[in-house]
Order: sequence, then structure tokens, then C-alpha cells
Amino acid sequence: MHETIREFIEADLVLEREITADEPLLLSGMIDSLGVMRIVAFLEASFGIKIPASDLKISNFGTLNAIAAYVAKRTAA
Amino acid sequence: MIQPTFPALLHTPLGLAADATPDKPAFRFDGASLTYSELADTSSRMARTLVEAGVRRGDRVALFLDRSFQATIALFGILRAGAAYVPIDPGASQQRVREILDLSGARCLVTTEAKRAALPGGFPASMSAVIGLSKPLEAEVDVISWEEALSSPDLGARAQVLSETDLAYIMFTSGSTGTPKGIMHTHASGMSYACMAANLYGLRADDRFSNACGLHFDMSTLDYFCSTLVGASTTIIPDPWLKLPASLAELIEAERLTVWYSVPLALLQLVEFGDLGSRDLSALRIVLYGGEVFVPKHLETLRRLLPDALIGNVYGPAETNQCTWFNVPEGWNADRGPVPIGAACPNADLLVIGEDDADVAPGETGELAVRAPTMMQGYWRQPELNRTAFLERAGAGGETQRYYRTGDIVIERPDGNLDFLGRRDRMVKSRGFRVELDEVERAIAGLPMVSEAAAFTVALREGVTVIRGAAILNPDETIGARDLAAAVARLLPHFARPDRIELLPEFPRTGSGKIDRRALAEQLSGEAQVSGVVGNA
Repeated sequence: MHETIREFIEADLVLEREITADEPLLLSGMIDSLGVMRIVAFLEASFGIKIPASDLKISNFGTLNAIAAYVAKRTAA
Repeated sequence: MIQPTFPALLHTPLGLAADATPDKPAFRFDGASLTYSELADTSSRMARTLVEAGVRRGDRVALFLDRSFQATIALFGILRAGAAYVPIDPGASQQRVREILDLSGARCLVTTEAKRAALPGGFPASMSAVIGLSKPLEAEVDVISWEEALSSPDLGARAQVLSETDLAYIMFTSGSTGTPKGIMHTHASGMSYACMAANLYGLRADDRFSNACGLHFDMSTLDYFCSTLVGASTTIIPDPWLKLPASLAELIEAERLTVWYSVPLALLQLVEFGDLGSRDLSALRIVLYGGEVFVPKHLETLRRLLPDALIGNVYGPAETNQCTWFNVPEGWNADRGPVPIGAACPNADLLVIGEDDADVAPGETGELAVRAPTMMQGYWRQPELNRTAFLERAGAGGETQRYYRTGDIVIERPDGNLDFLGRRDRMVKSRGFRVELDEVERAIAGLPMVSEAAAFTVALREGVTVIRGAAILNPDETIGARDLAAAVARLLPHFARPDRIELLPEFPRTGSGKIDRRALAEQLSGEAQVSGVVGNA
């Protein structure tokens, strides 16, 4: 799952740059608001989860690790 | 309000507040505070470091940092050294960084290790040092670390003699066409704006400002100079928070922010995804937005969610700071149509002029021109542009009155408020008719199923230009592009109808969060050229 998400972000959102698991993804020049919405759409489609607006938080989306942990929690629920 | 001082430089209030309220947080970031005395002390040491590195009155010092305490210390340090700060978008490429350094002829650059990969391989000859790196650069330029910079003695007797007429900052436009334009502001024009805003909105020492935009964006001057002028605190909101509305709402509540100023995007996301109903935002007493039109139905929601707050639509190109505003009244609703940009701010003289540069008759459309002490000096090293950017008129005594031509088309309502109709350069000819693209955009955005919309032109092939729309639908909305185009077609004359409307999950945005219509047009024109199909609108 970690790898699936990483591949999506690297290929589609940060132009083939390699990202590390705990690198902040949302600083200026990295992923923008459009990118956040694309990540949400990607996760919903790939993992069959529904992401409520109240979950759009740093603790869930700030880094690759945070996203993976969040998805694991949602898919287990 | 701080007592009048002479000269009133943009960093003067910092010193006064550091004497009056040394332990008060001047800035807050990620839960930590930088007090007035700490900021006065560190910025003084930074200023000394810059002076020792060769910076003199009138020099430019570039600032390439994510918003942070470091960026704040650098900003005030540069001013205290007598230089003008030149903020660079922290997301800028190597090429862009080099371009701004070249254009501004910067003496120094203040940055940090985290930005090393974005630094250019070489620097212009004007540069004497890069401040903020802990290891040397391959390029032939001195490097001074943050630790060294802040352990220097304070400015002391090396303080520069300055005048309010000295340049304080130069903000470069994104320059999507041609060379970026450097908007030059003096201490006087910056301070005039800070004073005007403090008086107009009744800003106070007990306010807690937000800083939601980059230092390269003119709105930030309210958060840094007006807040220090009134001796208030400013919470710097890091970029990631602006992209995640639930976290942003949490932060606004936790910091008990009282003053908000941003482009509509952050507020729009808050309204849509911020789960505001469950948040206590009662401390928020002033919400200002500008730079773009706020989609009326979302503004209506915001007005309802914050019944006691002053909500202001603020207008003014970066060249003028702010020159008009409209106080969005309680109970305002979307049926009342677009929000006016309002009436002149104190100290601003407005003209609405026609193609012949003469005043139009009352109630007729024309270009807005502004004369105010908050206005820029001109564009950096662009004599040609400075000849055309201003309209000069003779006053009663033959004195020259200089008005900045905004390029914005407005019309005055009977009640004296101005309506913004669009950019002069967003007027297009379609099948021989004059079409205002912003009007097309408003028609799409006004539909109940649409969250945001954009209109632009794309070249289908050489010489054939069509109007095209793009829309972001509301969550859970399922209408198809064809039906949406049909709904829009009912609202517009035939020549103004977009040939089709693309549905997108989000729009490309500029660094400041505005819709990037140029990028959008490029993104979608590629598709148009491939298919060459004109849909039925």
C-alpha cells in the first residue's frame, strides 16, 4: 500500500522526484490544493474508502507515512 | 496605536513595541512564540551581519525562505540594514531564483539549508554573500550560517540613516508573460497602507492576526507591518495547513485568531470542508479577502457562519496596496449578485476613465485609475513601462498628479460603490462581439451545482479562438458537462457562450492561490487541438 501511494505521488504529483516517507509533502512548491484533492480521489478509488472532509488534516495527509497510516486505519474500519 | 514617530519606517514600530511590551509574542509559528524583544534583538543582529557583508542603504537583499521565524527575522533585519527586501516564492525553481537575483541586483540572499537544492549554480556579480547555509557552496560566494548571523553583535552604531522615501521592498510579479515586473514600495507607501488599514478596520494591540500568504505576495504586508504597528501578534500559518481545511479550522480556533486576510481560496475550502459548524470561531472579528472574486454562494455561507464578524471585500493591485473596500453586510445573500469592490479607502483618489483618458459619465464603464500615498514608486528598472503605467494630470497649481492605471474595468453603482467587471485584457472579441470573460465565468459559477468556475479562450487552430469554460462541481454533484453547458447557454447571449465546459476536480492555481487561467487554458487547449471538436453549447 505504501508503495502504491508513493508511486502515485511520485509519478503524478511531484514530477518523478523521489520522496521520502516522512518528508513534508505540502510545502510551497510541492503538492498544492489540486494535488491534495487528487490524492483523496486516488485513495478513495484505489482502496475503496470514503474520506470525510473532517479527516483532511495534517496528521492524516502531511507525509507519505501519515497517508499510509490513515489509509490502513480506514480500510481496517 | 503607537505614538507617531519620525521618521516612520516600516521597522520603527518593532522597536517601540519591544520597549513597551517586550515579552508579548510578536509572531507565533507551530505553537511557539517569538516575542517582540526576541525579534528586535535577532533582527538587529541579522542587520549587523548584512552590513558587515557589505549591504548599504538602497541595496536589495533577496529572501528565499518558507514562512517561519527565520523569514520574519530576515525581513526585519534587511529593513534595519537599510536595504529593500526582495521576497522570492519559496516554491521557486533554480532558474526563477537566479532571474530575481539578476533583475534585482541583490547584494545578499538570505535562505536556509532546506533550500539548497533550489539555489542556482552561480550568482550574479552583485552578490557578496549568501546567509543561512551551514556548509559552503560550489559557487564563488561567501556563506554565513544562521548561527553566525545571529551571534553577531547588534546593529548599534552601524544603524543606517534612512528616510521614508527609501525603498523598503520590491515584489516581482510571476511574469508568466515576458520579464517579471518588480513593484517598488517605499517605507512611506508601506507605512501609509499599514496606518490606513489599522484605522479603517480598527485594528488593536489585542488582535491576533493570521499570515496566510507568502512574503512575495502583497497581502502579507498587513500581517507583518500593520500588526507590529498596532503591537498585536501574528500567527504564521504554514503552507500545509492552508491545503488541509480541517487542520486550518482547528488552528484558527486554537490560536483564537481575530483577524484573517487571504485570497478567497483558503476561506472557500474552510467553508466547504472545514467542518466549521463544530468549531468555535467566535474570536474571529475581522475577515478580509481580496485578489479574486469570492463565489457569491460560498460568501453567503461564510457570512452566515460568522454573523458577528466584519467581512470585507478588499480591492487593490499590489501596485497600490489597497484602494477600495466593501463591507459585506449582515444577512448578505447570493441573490444580490456579485459583491461590489466598494468605495474608495481613506486617502485614495479614484478616477474611472475611458479610452481617451477622460473621466467617463457617472454610471458608465471605464478603467479604474488610482492616486494614493499607498501607491508604488514604479516598476524596478522599467522606464518604458513606467511611462505607460501611470496617467498624469495637472492639479490646480500645475503640480503633477500621478494615477496608476489598474487595467481593471469598473462601473459605479448609484449608491457610490464600484462593481468590478473584469480585466481590460480579459475583454475578447468573439464573432465580432465584445465579450467579458469574467462575465462568462460568473454565469457558470452562479449555477447551484457549481463550486468554482473559470472562463478563458483557447486557440483551436491558427486564427480560430473560442471561449471555453471549466468548472469544479459541488461534492456529490453528478451533472454532466453537456447538461452544464446547456444550463450556462440559457444565461448568456449566443456569442458569449463557451463552446464547451470541462469538469475538473481542481484548478491549477498560482502561488497565491488564484486560479491560473493561463495554465488551465494550456492544459485544455492541448486536448482541443487533438480533437479539434467543437461541442454544442
